[in-house]
Amino acid sequence: MTRIAIWFFSGVTVLTVLAMALLLLMQSLPVWQHEGFSFATGAKWFYRQQEFGAASMIYGTLVVSIGALVLATPVGIGAAIFTAEFLPARFRLMVKLTIELLAGVPSVVYGLLGILMLRNWIYELLAPFDPLSGDTLFTAAVLLALMILPTIMTLSDDALRSVPATQRHAARGLGLNGTEVVLHVSLPQASRGLFAAVLLGLGRAMGETIAVFLVIGRQDNQWPQSLFSLQPLIESGQTLTSKLGSSETNIAYGNPLHWGAMVGLGVILLVIVTLITWFGAYLQRSDHAS
Amino acid sequence: MHRKLIHHGFRFFTGLCALACCSVLMTLIWAIVQRGWPAISWRFFTEQILLVGADGGIFYNILGTLILLATTVVVSTPLALGLALLHGVYLQGNRWRSHLTLLIYVLNGVPSILFGIMGFIVFVHYLDWGKSWLSGGILLGLIIVPTVTVALVERIASLPSCYIEAAAGLGLRQSQIIRFVILPQSINGLVTGTLLGLARAAGETAPIMFTATIFAGATVPNAVKESPVLSLPYHIFILAQDSFDPSVSAKIWGTALSLLGIVFLLSLIALPARLKIHEEAHHG
Amino acid sequence: MAEPILQTQSLTVTAGSRTLLRGVSLSIHEKQVFGLIGPSGAGKSTLLKCLNRLLELTPALKVSGVVRFHGESIHGPTVDADALRSRIGILFQQPIVFPKSVFQNVVFGVKHLGVIQKSALPEVAEQALREASLWDEVKDRLHQPALRLSVGQQQRLCLARTLASQPEVILMDEPTSALDPKSTEAIEQLIVRLKKTHTIVLVTHNVRQARQLADQLACICLRDGAGEVISQGEPCDVLCSNCAPEIEAYLAGG
Repeated sequence: MTRIAIWFFSGVTVLTVLAMALLLLMQSLPVWQHEGFSFATGAKWFYRQQEFGAASMIYGTLVVSIGALVLATPVGIGAAIFTAEFLPARFRLMVKLTIELLAGVPSVVYGLLGILMLRNWIYELLAPFDPLSGDTLFTAAVLLALMILPTIMTLSDDALRSVPATQRHAARGLGLNGTEVVLHVSLPQASRGLFAAVLLGLGRAMGETIAVFLVIGRQDNQWPQSLFSLQPLIESGQTLTSKLGSSETNIAYGNPLHWGAMVGLGVILLVIVTLITWFGAYLQRSDHAS
Repeated sequence: MHRKLIHHGFRFFTGLCALACCSVLMTLIWAIVQRGWPAISWRFFTEQILLVGADGGIFYNILGTLILLATTVVVSTPLALGLALLHGVYLQGNRWRSHLTLLIYVLNGVPSILFGIMGFIVFVHYLDWGKSWLSGGILLGLIIVPTVTVALVERIASLPSCYIEAAAGLGLRQSQIIRFVILPQSINGLVTGTLLGLARAAGETAPIMFTATIFAGATVPNAVKESPVLSLPYHIFILAQDSFDPSVSAKIWGTALSLLGIVFLLSLIALPARLKIHEEAHHG
Repeated sequence: MAEPILQTQSLTVTAGSRTLLRGVSLSIHEKQVFGLIGPSGAGKSTLLKCLNRLLELTPALKVSGVVRFHGESIHGPTVDADALRSRIGILFQQPIVFPKSVFQNVVFGVKHLGVIQKSALPEVAEQALREASLWDEVKDRLHQPALRLSVGQQQRLCLARTLASQPEVILMDEPTSALDPKSTEAIEQLIVRLKKTHTIVLVTHNVRQARQLADQLACICLRDGAGEVISQGEPCDVLCSNCAPEIEAYLAGG
């Protein structure tokens, strides 16, 4: 009985996950047939003209999540170094608790703070560059940075603390100070785990929907003149998730091609996020094992 | 002297980073309490929405969120128990175990909007439920399965192997060991994992907005088909998009404060125990 | 007799309400091997780690009493604990090598302390490895991972790493207890050679080793749950005296 139940419920979970991936893939087939690979590379999305290109949304997703990573990684890893290496043990639990609480704040709450506060601050901050509104890719990146900060911090803390204390003591015994031990012992030995923390943070940032939806402006077809231009940061745009969360999902269902295009965005998102999370989890686990 | 200076500077910098992380939470709580507190009253919790959110309370939103959470527990518990026991007992020393672990982590990373899209296809259209509390509960249940499973797996892994060996030495069968030794010992892993999962589920908007929840006009569902509920996160989500009416604004912050209250309450019950299990599992 | 290089006076270590070490007073003279024997759990390692303030890295332990190095308190306000540790090196029970190459391990301390030029590192490494009698065994695989060496070689590598920064004192915490007889012998010969140039504090619970190597010896035993120095002096005096029942019990038990 017990055995059957365990295998049954595990089977249900695993099959549901696989069926879900398959379902999304199948439902997206019409758009791949219609557009071919240019669905992923085309920058134009005009559903009334049956023209579907996901590139501007992929671009938006990459810009906001990498932007968030650039902002959150130094602070997150810095904070993790402090808690793992310098903070006396009796304060550890308190800081960890704070960080876990922060990680649990719902994204709609971040979105609310973003739309009612952050958006205005960013508008004033960016005033010298003359943005059209406070709904910019930069706003979304800042908000996402706040949201993934706890993820990066707590995973980095785990990674650093999995470096054995004996290694630190050996280095201190040679006369290195705390900082030198961090730089030459802890950080190099935890590097895989730290990289994993950053990747998992990136995965989370890419999949985040609601908060981004509320502050990004949801402007279709924003394609930069140059891929290295910073101009798009102060303009509104669209990410894969903000598109999927919009009312276009409701509109599209009746039309197989349009719906295929919407689900196709989901497939692209799923592939990117799964690869990143898988690689991150793989690194993290091999780090723990060593 | 040069080295010492670098050391102090570095430590100061990392301390600032940690302070920044913690102060994000304080600022966030302060911002929400300050704006949301004036809206909180007995009426706010016991009345239904009036005037498109500008008046009345959030009774049915809280109720709807609680209905979703209750369904979530029912869905996630057997699935997570199955996965965790499979992982911890049946796959011990098996190469499939690490594949399963990776699958759990990958599942944890799947963006929640994709669960919403899948639910939209399967529940709303294939099964023709329209918007239903049950689809929301099932989706949220699937979303928190990894959280609960990892908590259970870490707890099972930290059980002293002598318990299990002793039980096996007494001649108990594997299924009996699971029922009488492993499950009773790891029940706190299940509870804390579920509470944390619920804390996450309570605030999720993306998976339920196309499948389970509407802004106004729903009370207590009495069927599965066409039985949406109201919910706290969707209420905030909709009101946030046209929040220029000051009377609406006060209500949003009040709703956000209530949601945050529920989330923090669930987390705070679970976190001390959860962190302890996690520390034991990873850092001896 | 000359002034001792290291000296402790009523050194006491407590962990909360528990006392680990009580009232330890020792004098350690230059270019001698000072042996510390006693049963497991009597606080020998704790005492050793007090001597270069490495114990401070273990939270919740409180040290009181005085430790003097060249006559000056090591807990003084102007003393830099890190600089102190580079002058009083330590060798642990288990060899703790860094997951780097043999060469990187040897120069790890000197390189990051920035005391010598980068171009001089190979020379320093060779000299330290020769001093630790490891040069001939590893000279062809300096750039291979140190973790591939045998445990005995790893322990000598750790010794070379300590020697590279030219400490005056080397603290050894049961350096041979994890090693096979052959590697043990190699380390013991090294200790004999090194005491010409260094002061060595050797923790051991091997009575033969203590008798053979130590010039001065102290025996630490548990009294009322805390480690105390029961007797100290010439090895034969400490090991032959029947003045304390604890020593007798310890020697009888091996």
